[in-house]
Formats: sequence, C-alpha cells, structure tokens
Amino acid sequence: MDFSILTDNFGLYLEGFKNTIIASVIALVSSFFLGVIVAVMRISPVKVLNWLGTGYVEFFRNIPVLIITFFFYFGLASIGIELDGLKAGTTALSIYTSAFIAEAIRAGIMSVPKGQMEAARSSGLSYNQSMRLIILPQAIKIVIPSLGNQFINLVKNSSILGVVAGLDLMYQADLISARAFVTFDVYLFVAMFYLVLTIPLSLGVHYLEKRLARSH
Amino acid sequence: MGVIFLSVMYRAWSRFFKCYYLKILNTLNSRRKMGEGKFMIVFDNVNKYFGHFHVLKDINLTINQGEVVVIIGPSGSGKSTLLRCINRLEAISSGSLTVNGVPIHDKTTDINKLRRGIGMVFQHFYLYPHKTVLENITLAPIKVLGKSENEAIKTAEFYLEKVGIQDKANAYPAQLSGGQQQRVAIARGLAMEPEIMLFDEPTSALDPEMIGEVLDVMKKLANEGMTMAVVTHEMGFAKEVADRIVFMDEGRILEEAIPAEFYVNPREERARIFLSRILNH
Repeated sequence: MDFSILTDNFGLYLEGFKNTIIASVIALVSSFFLGVIVAVMRISPVKVLNWLGTGYVEFFRNIPVLIITFFFYFGLASIGIELDGLKAGTTALSIYTSAFIAEAIRAGIMSVPKGQMEAARSSGLSYNQSMRLIILPQAIKIVIPSLGNQFINLVKNSSILGVVAGLDLMYQADLISARAFVTFDVYLFVAMFYLVLTIPLSLGVHYLEKRLARSH
Repeated sequence: MGVIFLSVMYRAWSRFFKCYYLKILNTLNSRRKMGEGKFMIVFDNVNKYFGHFHVLKDINLTINQGEVVVIIGPSGSGKSTLLRCINRLEAISSGSLTVNGVPIHDKTTDINKLRRGIGMVFQHFYLYPHKTVLENITLAPIKVLGKSENEAIKTAEFYLEKVGIQDKANAYPAQLSGGQQQRVAIARGLAMEPEIMLFDEPTSALDPEMIGEVLDVMKKLANEGMTMAVVTHEMGFAKEVADRIVFMDEGRILEEAIPAEFYVNPREERARIFLSRILNH
C-alpha cells in the first residue's frame, strides 16, 4: 500500500470527504421529512393522497438512483434548469432514499396499536394532531434500526455524485487515480473515508436503540 | 248530581291536560333539543353493519343525565360497538343517534368538538407509552381545550389525586401496574371535564387483585352524578351502582331493567342462560 497517494492528495480527499458529508447530511434530513410525509399520505384515509403516496414510493423505489440523478443533472438541464452535480445528486439521493424511509415509517405506523389512535381521537384531538403527537413519535421509535440502515445506505449511495461531477469522495478519487495511474490504493483510501462516516453512524443507531428501549 | 260531578271533573282534567301536560312534554322535548336536560344519549332505531354483518339491530335506548347504564351480554353481541357509536369511533348505518343534543351521525357535526364532552376508557388502557402520566393527562386539555400548561397540570393533579395515584405523575405508563394504568386512563378522560364517560370493559384486562381499585374509582364517579355507559361483566358493580341494566344478544337489546329486577328475575330466557353461565363458571 502506497501511503504517499493519501498524503500527496490529502487536500483532494478532504475536499471530497467534506462534500460527501454535506450531501449526506442534507439528503438525510430531507429524505427523512419527505419520507414521513409520504408515509402519512400512504396511510391517509383520503384516497387521492393514498394513491399519490403509493405511486411515489413504487416509482422511486423501483428505478436505479443513477437514473434519478441523471434526470436532475441532464434532464432538467435540457429544459433550462441547470443544477450543479452536488445539488442534482443530493436531490436525487433525497428522493430515492425517501421512498425507502416512507416504507419503513409506514411499517412503524402500522405496528402502533390501533387503540392509540382511538384514544387520541376520542379525547378530541384531530386526525393530524393524533398522528403528529401520538402515532409518529411511537412509530419512529420502532423503526429506528431500519432507519439507521437506510441512512447508512444513503451515505454509501452518495457515491452517485461522482458520476455527475458532484465533487464528492468518489469524484475526487476518479480524479486522483486518473492523475497518478493508480487505482487500487486510491479507492482503498476512499473506502476508509466512507467507513469513518458509516461506522460511527451504525454505532450511534445502536446506542439510540438501546437508550430508547430503556426509556420505556 | 253524579253527572254534574263527572262533567266538572272531565273539564278540569281536559283543561289540565291541555295546559300542563302538553307544556311539560314540550319543555322536555325542547330541553332534549337544547341538550341541557334529561336525555344525554338517544339511540333511535339505530342499525349498524360491518360489511354484510348486521352488528346492531334496531337499537332504541335513552340514557338520561346522571344515569349509570351497564351494558352486558355475550361476546359478539354488539355491546362494545354500541358504546363506540356514541363517540363515533364507529359510524352508524341508519337511524339516529343524539348525544348531548347533537346528532352525531350528521355530516356537519364537528366530531372533535363533540368528543371533548365524552370521555372514554378502554379495555387495554391505551395510555401514550412515550409520555409520562402527567403528560398523558394534560395533552388533550392543552391541545384541544387550549388550556395553559399550568392550568392543565393543576387539573391533572386534581384528578390524579381523585384516582389515588398523585405520586406517579412523572412515571411512564410501563412503570405502572395495570390497575394504576387504568386509573390514569380514567383521570385522562376526566381531565377534559366531560359530561359523559364511556367504559369499554375497563377491568377485563386486569389482574383480579386490581379490579377493585378501578371499580372504586368508577363508583365514586357514579355517586358524583356522572353520566356513565359501562360495558362490563362485573356484577357486583352493576348491582351496586347501575341505574339500569341493558342486556344485548346478537346485536339486539333484549332486556332493559333495574339491576334488582334483572339479576333476580330476568324476563328473557336468553338473559337467564347468560346469567347462569357467568354465575356458575
């Protein structure tokens, strides 16, 4: 292993690392909120919302994230909306991940006993209030492990940014390897940078899981 | 002589009838419409279907203000459904159901507003597990009635004391026994200061040891004049507290009687069989 690859290009690696973190954090937050909204739509008693939610999930879950990314990068550019690689990639990542998160949260909502909603409604709370104050907090607690998996996937999937010049780790790695005519070592170091992100994330999820289990 | 006496009596009677009897009837009726008088819950020919299954058949039942009505019957007889129609957890299929003067089947009825005045206690408590006892009780008064947090906490503490668990205010539901949880659920209902309390088999999920403490709270409530509809098999409670027993089977009300009458000498054969079974188990 040639550590000079790492030390010589440390600036580029760091730049990529930074952008990967930015893209991941933004996509994590927005896919979570998007996912909650779509999950609530999917179980909504309003038929139209129901269909929209189901359509959203089935569409975005069943196409490659690369195609969604190309849509935001090349597709929108062709009708005059130009997004840079970072923005296009992050948007695609958020939408793609939100479909999975929506499914996870929906499963969580379904596993909250029906009586919770009835108790909340019978005390005069509206459907929306009951959902927000009673059902969702319980549902999210239940699905934290599977949300954690989705977030780890998200960080790894952020490598899609490399394809559309998103300036992330993967993009920088391509650059370095093209310049130095080395592939194996360059990508090994990239893998290590990803691990620096995903392993703490995974541990964090474990910790949360344990703490929440204790609190009730 | 006799004829004159009779005709005078007749006139007096018809006069009384026109002036007073009709007036009394009218005031009763208008009170019923205003919702401030005697009739709190009125089922008028109510039917309810789950798909093709006819759950409630031609239900006619009136529950007066301050009355405690105990509904009993075999499982699947529709007693829980009947109760759940009162706060529209179940929609009725036909007929009319008036609660506190408001037709609850009406599309224009603001159901959330109506539900403020109807507390409900469930078999499995359904306390919110992610909230403390105090938060469980103050949530609806704050979010629905718009009370300030301080005010809501004061009310909550008052009712917690009433159900005898003021020292558990900051515990989570999972840290309480079943009996304590059910008493918190009752306090949660009372904190909305409802005019009607519905109890759906409130002691059926409890250890035998804990049934008494819940029934005691319910008795206290009944003595204070709360209008209560209770689905339960607790005969001791029914005998002591109920103003009326309603016996249901296969979606119909078969018998309505005062407890002394019902338990000693039920009119219906089906009720007799039911009673002998629950007494000799």
